[in-house]
Amino acid sequence: MLRRPTLVAAALLAAGALLLSGCTGDPAPEATATAITPDPNASVDIRLVLEPGNLDIRETAGAALDQILIDNVYQGLVSRTPEQDIEPSLASDYEVSPDGLTYTFTLREGVLFHNGEELTPEDVVWSLEQVRDTETFRDSARLANVESITADGQTITLSLSAPDSTLLWNLTGRAGLILKKGDKTDRKTAANGTGPFTLESWKQGDSITFARNEDYWGEKAKVAEVVFSYVRDPQAALSGALAGEFDALTGFDATLTDQIEAGGDFAVVIGPSTDKGTLAFNSKKAPLNDIRVRQAIRQAIDKESIVAALGAGTTEYGPIPELDPGYEDLSAVAPFDPDASRALLAEAGAEGITLELTLAADYGTTVAQILVSNLNDVGITLKVNQVEFATWINDVYINQDYDLSFVLHTEARDFENWANPAYYFTYDNPEVQRLYAESLAATDEAESDDLLRQAARIVSEDHAADWLYNGASVVAVSSGIAGLPSVNVNERLNVAEVVKSAE
Amino acid sequence: MIRYALTRLALLLLGLLVASALIFLTLRVLPGDVAQLIAGLNATPEQIEAIRDRLGLDAPLVVQYLQWIGGILTGDLGSSQLTGTPVIDELVQKAEVTIPLGLMALTVALLIALPFGVLSAVRRGRRDGTALNVGAQTIAAVPVVWAGMMLVIVFAVWLGWLPAQGFPREGWDDPARAFRSLLLPAVTIGVIEGAMLMRFVRSATLQAVGQDYVRTAAAKGLTRTRALLQHGLPNVGLSIITVLGLQVAGILVGAVVIEQLFGLPGIGRMLVADVGNRDLPKVQGELLVLTGFVLVVGFVVDLLHRVIDPRQREAE
Repeated sequence: MLRRPTLVAAALLAAGALLLSGCTGDPAPEATATAITPDPNASVDIRLVLEPGNLDIRETAGAALDQILIDNVYQGLVSRTPEQDIEPSLASDYEVSPDGLTYTFTLREGVLFHNGEELTPEDVVWSLEQVRDTETFRDSARLANVESITADGQTITLSLSAPDSTLLWNLTGRAGLILKKGDKTDRKTAANGTGPFTLESWKQGDSITFARNEDYWGEKAKVAEVVFSYVRDPQAALSGALAGEFDALTGFDATLTDQIEAGGDFAVVIGPSTDKGTLAFNSKKAPLNDIRVRQAIRQAIDKESIVAALGAGTTEYGPIPELDPGYEDLSAVAPFDPDASRALLAEAGAEGITLELTLAADYGTTVAQILVSNLNDVGITLKVNQVEFATWINDVYINQDYDLSFVLHTEARDFENWANPAYYFTYDNPEVQRLYAESLAATDEAESDDLLRQAARIVSEDHAADWLYNGASVVAVSSGIAGLPSVNVNERLNVAEVVKSAE
Repeated sequence: MIRYALTRLALLLLGLLVASALIFLTLRVLPGDVAQLIAGLNATPEQIEAIRDRLGLDAPLVVQYLQWIGGILTGDLGSSQLTGTPVIDELVQKAEVTIPLGLMALTVALLIALPFGVLSAVRRGRRDGTALNVGAQTIAAVPVVWAGMMLVIVFAVWLGWLPAQGFPREGWDDPARAFRSLLLPAVTIGVIEGAMLMRFVRSATLQAVGQDYVRTAAAKGLTRTRALLQHGLPNVGLSIITVLGLQVAGILVGAVVIEQLFGLPGIGRMLVADVGNRDLPKVQGELLVLTGFVLVVGFVVDLLHRVIDPRQREAE
């Protein structure tokens, strides 16, 4: 069945509170603004896939933490809209000086932390300074250009040593989160933020429960409780949904769409995401140090069939997905063409080579099977080595001991990795590094985006890696639920607007 | 008897010590560590090293092992490197799922194995006996995951009688719901373990049927079935107890698989997640407790044997 993600997203964004009715047979699910009777005391159960190892938003990596903790529990001065734009959050207003060196924020008054303490300008200065100065905090380096953080009344000023076109975006992420100065909360298992939900409990290996923050500074959440149940197995998730145990399921396996929609209670909503199915090439190693071999691999892979097999997503031919700035359609750089691929391999003298694919086990076998068969068609033998994520990190990410690697990179706006020669992509092109640095330094958004676009084109033309697909946010939503975001929900799942019908 | 028990106990402790070393070393062979996972995909080597340093991962293995064993001797099983939660607290919490699940599975297994095992032995050579035997062989070969999925589809999705997955957040404060949520998983493990156990019961019964004392009893006027029930069953019971001891390990392994499938927050699922997270202090604590449990069951079984079987006592 054909689905148009952008249409769905637009429809969802247009309406405030939505009723997602059954979409079977339509190219896009119907999203009508029909009022359902919301139940303010409702508890909503949402299935998620990956449970975080701990909840330390400062030190522990992983999209699983960002996904639920940012926006819902922790907040920054600014935040992201579902359209991926930047909007004020704990700051009621902000201003960037024309030279890009001074950022001025007006901090909201009357904001309370979940433990009842008031948010002060001092907390903001302390939080940002701590992130900048603590090496082991995630995204610490993203504040490297921030020379000073000062408060004057409710006015917070960030002075930069050099312009940074990504700073505001970075402040919507971990680097910008504001915590209470001197707070003794154990961040590993508890949280003290300012968001519309409090972290009520974490039952490890099972679920995380949020409760509505009744003292929230903004519009209060529309349900009393949200339970995030961690269910990894797609079949178990489907059975649970069919038995009525979930209100919504993120990371839903799109190939099970017909089964979940058959009951009539659920509709599958597909939104765009920044998930990049990245097939990395170890270009330090023969034969992948030969650009012809890399290009041959790219042209041997039928991206359309991968997208079809996954049941959702779109093709992607460069490092920047459509949702991020700097995107352009690069499909002409390496179109699917097995004959061209074979010719390239012959030219490079790389016929009949054997390569090993190291693949983190979380991603299933669908993609690997297609790769094996596609590459076999052009005479490349692909051995698949499916490993635990921890092993992948050790072997591929740290030791760079691999030929080909497959991992889903979910993070938005992560082009920086292509400008970092030490990254496991093993990609080192000074021209790309220069363009990226210029893009960071650009004070004009259009100029910055254009520089990114140029850099991304070079990365693709160098065949630094292959992008097998741009994943979709696949969410199955029951008919009693509205207001659930549909864009990039593996990165952020803001549940403040979620409504549950009283029936 | 006491001397036997003491010797057996010493063996148990030795077994635990060997197990602890094996567990510790095997886990150290796994590639990757918790610091790399905490640091994630944008980490620099310096960041990873700083985390490793803080967690004490750089200490020599011997030191780490001795610290662990020293802790255990003072009653401290260790704590999670990710959350700081003591291993014992987590185990106790997860045991409220896994122990009832195991006991329920064992009950189901016995309810199937005992009557049908004896029946298929008594009816050997007849059609129903053969059918029972073939049925058991078939069921024993069914993969646990497939069996679980089928049961879910029938009883949770179609009939809606039982929950498809999960455990109530209230736990055993809501006993009916907790029981219902464990029923399908327990039946899944129980049926398959039961089918395997049934074959043991059958062969033990068959053996008993051929014994002199059963024939003598039959010659003295008892029906063959009564002779078997009165004189044969106590002997069948002996072999069953031995096999049951082994089944405990089987049920634990089954629980690891089934807890994933049914989304149950039990020990098995925790173990899998902890290995994935490379939370080694936690994994080794959990594995040692599980190993200890299996060893203790074996110990009890051996002692029971002595108590039940007069022949073994006389042999001393």
